[in-house]
Amino acid sequence: MKATALSKETRKVVKKRSWGTGEVKRHLAYLIMLLPGIIFLFVFSYLPLPTIIMAFKKYKLAIPPAGHWLQNKFLYSLFFKSPWVGLENFKFILNAPLFPVFMRNTIGYNLVFMAIGLVAAVALAVGINELRQRKAAKVYHTILFLPYFLSWIIVTYILFAFISPAGVIPQAFTALGMTPPQLYNNAKAWPIIYVIFNLWKYAGNGSIIYLSTITGFSQELYEAASIDGAGKWKQFRYVTFPQLVPTIILLQILAVGRILNADFDMFYNLRNGASAAYQNSLTIDVYVYEMIKSNPSKLYYPAAAAFFQSLIGFVLVLTTNSIVRKVEPEMAMF
Amino acid sequence: MTSMTNITPALPKKKTSKYKDMNQLSAGANLVWNVLLIIGCLFCIVPLWIVIVASFTDNATLVMKGYKFWPAVFSGSAYKFLLSSGGGSMLVAYKNTVAATLLGTVLCVISVGLYAYPLSRTDFRYRRFFTFYSFFSMVFNVGTVAFYMLCTSILQINNTLYALFLPQSFSAYWVIIMRTFYRSNIPDSVIESARIDGAGEWRTLLQIVAPLAIPGFATVALFAAVGIWNNYFNALLLINKRELYNLQYTLAEILKSIQFLKEMAASSGGAVDTIKNLGDLPSESFRMAMAVVTMGPIILAYPFFQKYFVKGLTIGAVKG
Repeated sequence: MKATALSKETRKVVKKRSWGTGEVKRHLAYLIMLLPGIIFLFVFSYLPLPTIIMAFKKYKLAIPPAGHWLQNKFLYSLFFKSPWVGLENFKFILNAPLFPVFMRNTIGYNLVFMAIGLVAAVALAVGINELRQRKAAKVYHTILFLPYFLSWIIVTYILFAFISPAGVIPQAFTALGMTPPQLYNNAKAWPIIYVIFNLWKYAGNGSIIYLSTITGFSQELYEAASIDGAGKWKQFRYVTFPQLVPTIILLQILAVGRILNADFDMFYNLRNGASAAYQNSLTIDVYVYEMIKSNPSKLYYPAAAAFFQSLIGFVLVLTTNSIVRKVEPEMAMF
Repeated sequence: MTSMTNITPALPKKKTSKYKDMNQLSAGANLVWNVLLIIGCLFCIVPLWIVIVASFTDNATLVMKGYKFWPAVFSGSAYKFLLSSGGGSMLVAYKNTVAATLLGTVLCVISVGLYAYPLSRTDFRYRRFFTFYSFFSMVFNVGTVAFYMLCTSILQINNTLYALFLPQSFSAYWVIIMRTFYRSNIPDSVIESARIDGAGEWRTLLQIVAPLAIPGFATVALFAAVGIWNNYFNALLLINKRELYNLQYTLAEILKSIQFLKEMAASSGGAVDTIKNLGDLPSESFRMAMAVVTMGPIILAYPFFQKYFVKGLTIGAVKG
């Protein structure tokens, strides 16, 4: 990627270098090793690429005539029988009444998750790192990481056990003589519920990178700071935090690249069908899925929405990556 | 959960402690941290405990008195029902999920383990190209509709078991982790000496490198297995045959409608005795019992595999 004149020259030399003994054989072995992955990636990441043009067409189903080289019904219809409509499908999505809703939700939730997740992950990492009892610290971290491995469906059950009428929270209200809240029917409760459960599920996982980064810091700095009279807070503020900044920036930038990708399983399931929560649960992924299921003959509309999502994601990742490369070349993805 | 966000304000308390020879947390701050982390851990464990307790509670009591920290009236009838014909569809879902998880995990470890190895070798000339080839899949997501059309109209794996594991059986993300693992754990000298001893690439990989890379494989395997076990979206999008539903999908449907639960019980074999059961279907505790058997394997396996993945992840996460 770093195309300096020198490295280009070097690469040319490398390319021109003749194949040594055993090198051809070795490369053949390497290519065979790569083969399963090459096939998988080709099928799942490259083969669908041309079908993205569906976003710019009005898909019409047609049967390929006998003898036509392309016998796949879908591909034949898409490439040969569906008229181009330009940006019409995108206009439909942009003008959809729900567009501002799912954009607000997707971006809004992601920003809040990023901010709160960052604070929690750094705090957890620092706390676990500072704890005197190393064994206890390990146990805590293990337990805090556990929710990461539970599916959102299980989380939906947990939430049900807490907020359904017989659940823990309404029961506690009743026991205290108060009216139990009906959280499934309370639209305003849902952003809070999502934030809580997102934190619950990902805080332990989020802290892992920070923890391993902190463990790698030189102890001498801390000793020096301590001798100079810095307490733990000042050590955090002036020693730990500045050293963490590159990692924080990198992870946040990567998160920005995924800002249009919402956790489908969470937003689709957690509300358990409660219609009051719908407006606050509709993210772009849920919208695309619902369009696929509700109108399978007009897949070009969700195709436009999905392409919009992929494209923005792609541009954001490239942009953020080039920023990372300028700030911290070591940490750039490519 | 709020306890976690409260952790930061606790830090300044350290200011009150006197200077120490050892740069350790003061006893007070240490106690505060312990308390906060214990509260955090309780937030993680208590919800699971409540679900488990509910599954062992008599259904009528559960509906009447609600979810408790201890079963008001202990009953194993939800599990009995699950094991009887009533849980028939659940057993099918279990079988599908186990099969998909095993197949997908094996495929994933083999394909990722193989793909990452040449990328970790500096003597591989096309390293850059194949690194980019896999990276691209991470950077540009083809989107749900293209994926849906691929599976239904091109590969036609919808309504087959393949839909439950094939799309999850490789990931560029794991390639990066695995490649870094090879690089940082397998010294070049080991590979060089194997080569000098006349071992071919395959022998080097299988007999020298693979045994050293087991923690890396374990990490990939565990995450792949958990990913497939927990997968819901594939079944939602691509499966509409009852006999191919996986655990997460079945579980989600059961919570959405009690009707599904009844149909499930009715459709599963033994007609007469099942229908007799429908009246006293232990719906609520039965649901919770199913959640327990779905998360059970993960929770039981967790203490054993967590030491692997923390190691594998922290090594792999540091980009190389």
